[in-house]
Amino acid sequence: MKKTVVSLMIAGALAAPAYAATLDDVENSFYPYKNGAKQFSNLTPGMVINQGNVESVKDALDPAMYKFIKNGDYEIRVGETTSFDLHNSYVDATRKNLNTTSLGDTPGEIQGFVAGRPFPEEPSLDDPRAGEKMAFNFKYGYNWGDTGAVYPFYWKFRDMASGKEERMLKFNFHFLNYKHRVKQEPMPDIEPNPSNLFRGIYVQVLEPFDVKNTQLLIHRYEDDLKRDNAYLYLGFQRRVRRLSSGQTTDAFLGSDLMIEDFEGYNGRISDMKWTYKGTREMLMPYYNHNDEPLDPDTHKDKEGYQVVSFTGKGNCFPNVSWQVRKVYEVESAPVDPNHPLSKRVHFMDAQTFAIPRTNAYDRKGELWKIFTIGQSHPDHHLAANKGSGVSIDDAFSMVDLQANHCTTGQFKGQLDPKLSPEQKFSVQNLRSSGR
Amino acid sequence: MTKKITALNTLAIGVAAGLTLSYGSTVSAGEIEWSGFVENATYFRDKKGLSKFRNTAQAEFTKPIESDGWSNVSINGVLRGSYDGVYDLNSSEFGKDAQQQYLGESWHGQDASTAALSAGTPFPCDNDPTLCNNLDGYMDQDENDAKFAEFNDRLDFIREFYFTADKQLANGDVFNFSFGKQQVVWGKTDLFRVLDVINPVDYSRHNIYDELEDIRIPQWMFTAEWRMGPNDVLDDSNFQLIWNIDKFRPHNMGTCGQSYVMVDAGCFFSARLNGPNFPVIRDVDDHDWSLKNTQFGAKWEGVYGDTTFSLNALHYRQQLPSIHANANPAQGLFDIKFPRVTLLGGSLDYYSMDMDAVWRMELAYTQGEEQPRDLNGNAETDMFRYVIGFDKNLVIPSLGTSSAFLISTQLFGEHILDHEADMPMDEDNWIATALFKGWYKNNRLSPQVILAHDFAAKATAIAPSVSWTPDNHWMFNAALNVKVGGDETFPWAPTGGVNGGGQTEPLARFLNGPIGVANQEDELQFTVRYSF
Repeated sequence: MKKTVVSLMIAGALAAPAYAATLDDVENSFYPYKNGAKQFSNLTPGMVINQGNVESVKDALDPAMYKFIKNGDYEIRVGETTSFDLHNSYVDATRKNLNTTSLGDTPGEIQGFVAGRPFPEEPSLDDPRAGEKMAFNFKYGYNWGDTGAVYPFYWKFRDMASGKEERMLKFNFHFLNYKHRVKQEPMPDIEPNPSNLFRGIYVQVLEPFDVKNTQLLIHRYEDDLKRDNAYLYLGFQRRVRRLSSGQTTDAFLGSDLMIEDFEGYNGRISDMKWTYKGTREMLMPYYNHNDEPLDPDTHKDKEGYQVVSFTGKGNCFPNVSWQVRKVYEVESAPVDPNHPLSKRVHFMDAQTFAIPRTNAYDRKGELWKIFTIGQSHPDHHLAANKGSGVSIDDAFSMVDLQANHCTTGQFKGQLDPKLSPEQKFSVQNLRSSGR
Repeated sequence: MTKKITALNTLAIGVAAGLTLSYGSTVSAGEIEWSGFVENATYFRDKKGLSKFRNTAQAEFTKPIESDGWSNVSINGVLRGSYDGVYDLNSSEFGKDAQQQYLGESWHGQDASTAALSAGTPFPCDNDPTLCNNLDGYMDQDENDAKFAEFNDRLDFIREFYFTADKQLANGDVFNFSFGKQQVVWGKTDLFRVLDVINPVDYSRHNIYDELEDIRIPQWMFTAEWRMGPNDVLDDSNFQLIWNIDKFRPHNMGTCGQSYVMVDAGCFFSARLNGPNFPVIRDVDDHDWSLKNTQFGAKWEGVYGDTTFSLNALHYRQQLPSIHANANPAQGLFDIKFPRVTLLGGSLDYYSMDMDAVWRMELAYTQGEEQPRDLNGNAETDMFRYVIGFDKNLVIPSLGTSSAFLISTQLFGEHILDHEADMPMDEDNWIATALFKGWYKNNRLSPQVILAHDFAAKATAIAPSVSWTPDNHWMFNAALNVKVGGDETFPWAPTGGVNGGGQTEPLARFLNGPIGVANQEDELQFTVRYSF
């Protein structure tokens, strides 16, 4: 009897969160700059970091970005730290569901999660699963809100040595959360949802002609242990092919990105061993889109919207300003020994839980790919995005150091739910849109 | 008849245009989007020289239309024109003057001692008015028609022209209808078709090897879809009705004298009986347009967890010719007919997480088809066709690329339920295909190998190719198309009957199939395309 009671107590202790988060934790998690940002003595807004002064601000850079600047490949304009407040509905959901979420016994299992940020407390180096909790905070982050679209989205393949633009793909990307919705009806879940899907990603290629009408639909399950279902429509075949989705390390349409790289990490939590390495202050590409020098040529529309321009070696780097941000450094090491990477080092933004910077290392442990996602404040972007409380993915750069090649992305991020209705995320939509 | 066809086309275009203008009270047109390409395809055939010098221009457009009551409204079109210079540049081998030495020259050595039939007459409408008249409506194109394949009475230069619109229903479902000249694709197979039978196919373009999108013959059709979306059980479901109102068109198997004559049927049909000189074909039943001659079908499809499925039904006409022995052979040994067929079938694919691979399956049961036989030309029989496919995307680092290779295999089966001993086709036959495709240099360099093996014909096609896409506009493709086997010869017996085991010339060409009968057609192929 006594043994049983002890067992129950142990089981209860394991199941309960190791640390009970408080409302102050929520406040600190979502508003880390309410008392101002950390100041670096030799880093001031308006300065430009280049070959000549990079040593003096080395602590504010990750190793890859430091190397680029030191080599003269890129110069960083420094902006003032600004708060990227996520939408109140997401913050309120975090408060409301505080301490209801816990990790299961198996990596990738999560219990009790309803909506909001599942683990708003500060991570601890003493917590062996702190990295996994950060990964879940990212997965269930406010990313594109309940729905979002990159409409359109330009990807350019570039030879980094010559700067030659080899190819440009024009897409539309759409995102829809089926579950844990906080702002748009229906909330919290879209019903019916017989397969218990968490998220849908729908991609349509608009140009060039040889891949036009290629469409990709990814259905991600709420159960992290279950692989995505993926469907591909090829314009020249005019039919939907089911994809084997395990190959998330495939170079997506020939770009320098794996499908697994999307948004910073686009795979199962359980495919990686996550390790929290510490909290630091560093420069991250957070800015106001409308205040940046833009590219007048790539995209033109009636609204007068222009996409972010690119600069530096091979035009592989976003021409945006960077600001000092509070960052969680988290490593993810693939569980699969045949994975082409030995690890990724993610620099997660503590306020938004976006992953604007990731360095990926090959199997030999050598730095291979450097991924940067520029984040624009929604109030300084499209007028329609104002007040959305979404940190808008606005530009990306994936540099393949070993191939001296890069893929850049220029976004028109739109948070209009009408662009991403649920019907768009159906298999039938691939057929009807692809003809 | 030509006038009637043209009138139908004009009427159909008018209806499509009328729908566009009148379906809603408040409409405004968006900007029209154009894209397309120009292309040269130059192929060389072993011992024949130039076999294709096709120059194509294709333009595609979409014109979105905004409406208060409807959504996703658009007019879509694909226009294509081509000129194949092979008939001017290699007229001794292809064209109206390219007389074959004997029937079956494209797949076996000469066996003139027992040959019952003469060699086929190339382009009979250029050379033999009687044959041309007998074949009226089918394989009656002249050399000019082959040179300019899209410019004909059926307005084939309009490959597609259709109007489509969605209506959001109060319960969240979507009703869609479309009308116009279009391709409607069922099923999940490559190269060979089980359910993808709504549009006939132009095999004269490049036998079975071109993408079906380029060789399906678009039809004037109405389609209506009720897109129901998810429910408590299914993640997605959709019901589709199809009404093909076009005048019936069979497959284009190639006219004798063209570079690609599927199973040499075109030359067989334009041959004559040695001795009395009777034509092989007396008449073609080409089914004038009438309401009762239209074709229709329905499909219900859905997604259930890791499985997608469809159930299909189609009432249509056999697209391959069926030959009926003629009681008065002096005017021609056979008539060609295209009987009514009813198809019931289904498809299913399943993603296996453990194998990280996709299994696909299609089944089709038909009633009303006719198979050739020696005794009287044909017999009606129910048919059962099926395919099992396996697809896997696999990153193979040792092959020097981080892009996944596509490995796709298929096994097609065909079972003749009422098989007769004098049928050239085996009661059961299988064709296996394999595709291995990879990508290098950011997917701009793509090698692939396609293999297809016909078990009954003991014939294999091997088609390695590599394409290079240096930028957004140019594409260069170099390919080989080699056939191995399929060289079994058969005794001549126009009425070989049971004694011939069914496997006698001339009908044995159907047994030897599209790969075996083309076993002398090894080719080196180059394609250059500029797209915009």
